[in-house]
This record gives sequence, structure tokens and C-alpha cells, in this order.
Amino acid sequence: MNEVLLYVLKRLLILVLTMILVSFMTFGAFSLISGDPARTILGTEATEVQVRSLRHELGLDRPFMARYLSWLLGFFSGNLGVSFSYRQPVWELVGSKLMLSLSMSLLSFLMIILVAIPLGVFSYKATGKTMIWLRTIFNQLGMAIPPFFTGIVFSWIFGILFRLFTPGDFKGFSVSFWPSFMHLFFGAVCLSIPRIAMTIRMMRSTVISEMNKAYVRTAISRGNDRRSVLSRHVLKNSLVSVISFLGQTLAELVCAGIVVEQVLGIPGVGRFLVTSILHRDYPVVQTIVVILTFWVVFASFIADIINQVLDPRLRRGQT
Amino acid sequence: MTKKDSSIDPKSFLIVGAVITLLLVLVIIVGMFWTPYSPTAMKYGRFQSPSWNHIFGTDNFGRDIFSRIVKGAGNTLVIALSTVIIGAAGGILIGSLTGYFGGAVDVVLMRVNDALTAFPSFLLALLIVSLVGPGSKYSVVLALGLVFIPSFARVTRSEFASLRSRNFVTGARLTGAGHARIIFVYLLPNTGRVLLPALTIGFNNAVLAEASMSFLGIGVTPPDSSLGYMLSEAQSMVSIAPWYALSTGLSIVLLVFGVGLIGEGLQARAKEVD
Amino acid sequence: MLVINDLHVRFNGREREAVGGISLTINDGEIVGLVGESGSGKTVTAMSIAGLLPRRQCTYSGDILLDGKDLLHAQRSELRKLHGKEIGVVFQEPMSSMDPLMKIGHQIGEVLRIHTDLSMSQIKEKALEAMASVELQNPEQIYDCYPNELSGGMLQRCMIAAAIVIEPSLLLLDEPTTALDVTIQAQILELLKKLNARLGISMLLISHNLNVVRKLCSRIAVMKRGLIVEIGDTESVFLNPQHDYTKALIKAIPTRERRFG
Repeated sequence: MNEVLLYVLKRLLILVLTMILVSFMTFGAFSLISGDPARTILGTEATEVQVRSLRHELGLDRPFMARYLSWLLGFFSGNLGVSFSYRQPVWELVGSKLMLSLSMSLLSFLMIILVAIPLGVFSYKATGKTMIWLRTIFNQLGMAIPPFFTGIVFSWIFGILFRLFTPGDFKGFSVSFWPSFMHLFFGAVCLSIPRIAMTIRMMRSTVISEMNKAYVRTAISRGNDRRSVLSRHVLKNSLVSVISFLGQTLAELVCAGIVVEQVLGIPGVGRFLVTSILHRDYPVVQTIVVILTFWVVFASFIADIINQVLDPRLRRGQT
Repeated sequence: MTKKDSSIDPKSFLIVGAVITLLLVLVIIVGMFWTPYSPTAMKYGRFQSPSWNHIFGTDNFGRDIFSRIVKGAGNTLVIALSTVIIGAAGGILIGSLTGYFGGAVDVVLMRVNDALTAFPSFLLALLIVSLVGPGSKYSVVLALGLVFIPSFARVTRSEFASLRSRNFVTGARLTGAGHARIIFVYLLPNTGRVLLPALTIGFNNAVLAEASMSFLGIGVTPPDSSLGYMLSEAQSMVSIAPWYALSTGLSIVLLVFGVGLIGEGLQARAKEVD
Repeated sequence: MLVINDLHVRFNGREREAVGGISLTINDGEIVGLVGESGSGKTVTAMSIAGLLPRRQCTYSGDILLDGKDLLHAQRSELRKLHGKEIGVVFQEPMSSMDPLMKIGHQIGEVLRIHTDLSMSQIKEKALEAMASVELQNPEQIYDCYPNELSGGMLQRCMIAAAIVIEPSLLLLDEPTTALDVTIQAQILELLKKLNARLGISMLLISHNLNVVRKLCSRIAVMKRGLIVEIGDTESVFLNPQHDYTKALIKAIPTRERRFG
């Protein structure tokens, strides 16, 4: 276990370095393009004096590195700057929205794992002609259905026809629990459909290639039946290959959620990102992009750690 | 794949996919010159449900939805194709050079590449769009095209790296073929096996990403139209005219499905060759 | 006692039979070698005995009886009771033949877990015993290792330990030394000989290497194109080969080895 711990520490260091690099690049990019936010905020009618005093107020007259460092320090102490368009601290605006988006992603991730992994494992036996066609059609269809389309269809069927929730009227969990939960639930379903198709496909081809490996023959020669060959040997070996894929899926879910939040009217961070992009509210865009990137880096970190624990081949040579 | 799986000829996926795609493309191309009704004329009665005259019904302004979908799909197709062309051209160029020559440039570029591919492409595209200015089809094409470069570069590079030491390449080198000749005449045609499926996947990703962006209002905006933009319109009237959302959404699904089947067939064929 | 009687195997879609009607008997405690080049049908024969034949993809006939129990036509569920328990198999590539994610000790004890009601601690004890009997140094330490942490020779010892831990009546050795260095090869063959003497397990050694077979087996059968072309006591086959193919095989052994082998 010591090797694992050492790996975690090493990986953690890389994680922090990546995050700093990403935040630097994002900050740099936005400083370059944002032009003069003070001018943007005040409009063309403002006087030079007004603009200068607002720039001072926003700290825009300091050198780049100083601004970056104070922004970075602020980021980790929860002070994310002030939104241009709302004139409010970014964290107040983003915090609860972030929780909402992450919960929807995690819910969807859970659905993917619970549905796709068992189906992927058991579909490896489906080898008849009809089964191959059915499987391929369902797979390709699943991958072809964009979440925002299912979102519209669900909000029509379950929201308008069955009145399970009112799309767009998200009051929050404390106000009305079930309708809020329904928003997240259907959002998660929309998000998971194409990814379930992808994961089943991935899982299936991994199980098949593992089934053809020599250790399976050994396991059969010892008297294992098909089920225990799967559960004791093949499943774990297949997971090792699928986990990095799942890590990436977890990362992508938050970004894919942007569209679903828009469709179902969930006031999540993605929807906020889009409105902020349209309003050129760069402090907000910048913060959300950095947070989402951290999430991406973090997901791959978790996937790497799990693989490290599962696969002794990776542990060797790390120390 | 196992022996049993090859009981279906990958060609059959290819054929079914190609038939669906060709039909759609045919309709779209015809639609560029002629549609049953003018897609912009607002005179066919508001919210007509589907009938023989208007197979997909009409929208809130009384426009024929089928004609609008055909026109919108044309835009979607052009955007997706341009995106794939930018992504593939850039990726193949970078991938073939780094894969062929190797060395320090290769190592550095591929590290950057790995970092970029680990990044959700949709977020990256959103970022680029927000940098170059949202709400135009050109920024969508630029953003998505740039975002697709790394994955094409990766695929091409790994093929080149494995092909460059093969005997037929060494042979070509011994007969005095220059680098350019080896890359374009000997190596590039041999990467088709993996690049063709990658192109279909790229195309589908482009269609879906464009639709998402236009749906969000940061992609194609009026007076231009695309399937994604039309869906965002259709959403607001889904309770009155559900056929609008359904026909538009299913058009996207069908397009992606057809190309997806082609990709499936190409991939299966590539595996068979191995 | 293993009796093979007129075994035929043909894979679907192939003209020629992989095994074209062979008969072979292995007496209790005997080591028999099955020699032939690749494609001669020796591995298919071994797979038929071990029940690893992909039944749906081939047609087969004849009999394979282990102590009177049918190995060829029995139900899979019946066969599973014999796999591992009555027949142990050692494969060619120890590294790929082991589950990379399972501890060595658990893989050695797996047969006991499947076929006996022993407790976890009893299984571990037996596994350690088996590891000691294949002359592994510090079995306690190796027990908790994963395959990637051991050398090929050590892994093959572990594979043998896993196959004999339940003391089967037949040990199938499918090219057990082919993937190993020459010095390790000799050690493994020595070990197999000792195990045969001590436990009285019958063995069927499959190899393309006549030298290996000569060191271990009392009888050899030479296969070519699905048929046994020659069978007899090892020394008499070597000294007085009857079939041209056997002569060619013997001739193909490098002279130095032939003399000092």
C-alpha cells in the first residue's frame, strides 16, 4: 500500500501543477481578449475619468502577474472577483449553481455505471445475426440522440403532458423537493443515454478481448464455470481498461450538462456560463471555466488512483 | 473481435449507413436549389399539424417546417463538413510530421496534444467561441475545427510512427524517395484504415456540437438557421406544435445514425484487416 | 488411467481433420510425450482432454476416458467437476496464463476453493505446501505477489503448484518449458520428474522439442497431420526410429545436444 500512497502524493503534485497551469492559461487568454472591461461596463458614454476610477476599483491597472497572483490567491480563499454584469462576488453567484450541476452529473454517472456495466458484460454473449443488428442499431441510435433533444421530449411528455414537473420553473430543493428532483432526474437521464450506449460498447469489446486471453483458459481448466470466470477474473480485468474511459465520461458530463440545464431550465453553472459568455462577463466565464477544468483534472486523477489500486502492473516501477 | 462476430459482414453496416446518409445528403443538396415551399415564406397558416401538404407541419409564423429543416440541415452539413476538414487537415499535417520525423518536437507536441484531448472538447469549443465572439457560423466552424485537431493528430501520429519502420518504407527510402514522397505516396494512403472511421466520428461530433451550440444561442443565429437553432425555437412551442421539435430532432438523429453506421462498418472492416 | 480411443476432431469450415483418429493410453504414474510440429494436432488433442475444445465450432467423435469417466461427450457441468480436480493443466506462457490482477497464492488455491469445502486458512496452508513442493523459495512472500512481480521460471513453478495442489490424477503439460531459458527449462523438467516420482501423477507432455520429451518421458508418441505415426518406449524410438518423419525429427536436433542431451 505504501507504493500506492507514494503514487497518490506524486499524482497530487501533478494535479496541483496542472491546475495552476490551466488557471494561468485561462487567466492569460481572458486578459488578452477582454479588452477594457471598465469601458464595457460603463458603456461608450462614460468619461475617461469614470473609466479610470472603475479600472482602479476593479484592480485592472496593476501588472498582469500581480493580477494573476491575487486572482489565484483569491480563488483558493473563495474570493473569485466581482461579476461585471451583476456587480456581485462571483462565488455568491456560482457556488450553489455549481452544486446543482455536480449533483446532476453524479446522478447521471451513477445511471451510466448501473445500466451500462451490467449490460455491457452480459451483451458479450449476444452474437447471433439478429442480436448483432439489434445491438448495433440501439448503440448507434443511443449515440445519435442529442441530450437536448431528449430534454425537449421529456419536458413535453413528463412535464407538460404528465405534469411531473414544470420545466423551467426550478424552485430549489428547499422550496419544492420533488419537482426539483424531477428536473435533475430527467436531466441526468438525457445526459446518460448517449453515454450508456458508448459505455456498453466499450465494456462489451473489453470483455470480449479479455475473454480471449490466456488466463481465461487457465481459469476454465481449473473448473470455473462461465459465471465465476466472469466475476472472479474477467470483470476486474475489464474494469481496469474501462475506468479511464469512465473518468473521462465523468469529466465530460459536467460540460455536456450545460445544454441540458438550458433545456430543462435548471439554474446550474453551465447555463450561467452560457449567459455570461453572451454578456461577455469575463470574471464569471473565467471562474467557471477554471472550475470545470479542475473538475476534469480531478476526475482523471480519481480514475488514475483507482487503477493504481486495482492493477499491480501499474504499481511496479512507480517507486 | 471473436470469430463468431464476423458472421455479419461489416459491409452490411456500411451499406445501410451509406444508403441512409446518401438519401439525406441528396435531399439536402436538392434543397439547396429547390424546396417544396419557400422556407422563409410565412403564409401557410400557423401551427398546421403534419398533413400531405406539409409533411412536418408549419411553425408559429406559418412556415413549412420540412422546407426549413432541409435548408437548416444544409447549413448543419456545411458547418460539420468544414469543421471536419479543418480538424482533419490540421491534425493529419501535425500528426504525420511528428509521427514521421519523431524527436523532441514530437514529444512536446504530443504531450500538449494529450493534455488537450483529455479536456472535454465541448468546453474548449465554448471557450474559443467566447474568445472569438459568439453567434456566428464562422466562429463555430473555427472553434470546432481547432478543437478537433488534437484527436486527428493523435490517430495519424500513431499510425505514422508504426508504419515508418516497415519494409516498404525502408524500400522506398533506398530507392531514393524523398521525405515528401514517402509521406504522401507511401504512408498517407495506408492510414486510411484508421482515419476513415475517425472522420465519421469527427463528423458526428461536429453535427452534435454545432447543434448544441446553436441550441444554446452561441452558434448559428438568425438569419442563418441550423437544426440546432431550430430545435431551440421548437422547444418554446413544444406544447402547441410538438411535431416541430420531433421532426427537427429526429432529423439530427437520423443523420448522425446513418454516418455512425458507416463508421461502425469501417471500424469493423479495419479490425478484420488486422 | 487415461484412454483415448479413435479420437477425431474437425473444425467447422476446414477440409482436413485436426485430429484424424488417434488412440493412446497413459497408465497410472506414467509420463507420455506427444511430439510433433505445430499444426500436427498435438495441442488439439490436449485441449480435447482438458475440455477446452470450442465444442460448437467443431465436430468430434471417439472416446476419451479418465479412470472410466467420459471427458469428450459429458455435459459441461459434469466436466467442470473434473477440470482442475482430476486434470491439472500447465500452459506454455506462464505470464499470460495467470490472471494479472490476482495474487499468486489465490490463483494456486483457486482449485481448492472450487472443488473442496476447505476453509480459507486451510486453503492457504495447502497452497503454501504446494509452493514448497515445487521448490519455491519463501512461499509466504510469493503468496502475496502478483504475476508481474515474478520471473518466468518462478511463475511456471507457481503454475505447476496450482495444478498439483489438489493432486489430480493427470497433469497435462502443454509446452511447459518452451517460453523459458535453457537452464530454467532443465530445472523445471527435473522438478516434474520428482513430482511424478513422489506423487505418482500421470503426465502427458506436449512438446515440439524432442530433447525435452526424452528427458522426461518413458514413452513417446509422434504426431503428424493429425495422426500418431509412431509410438513406443522413448529410447527405442530414439535409437531405432521406424517412421521417416521421426527420423527427420531426430536428425533435426543439433548434434551436440543429441550427444549430451
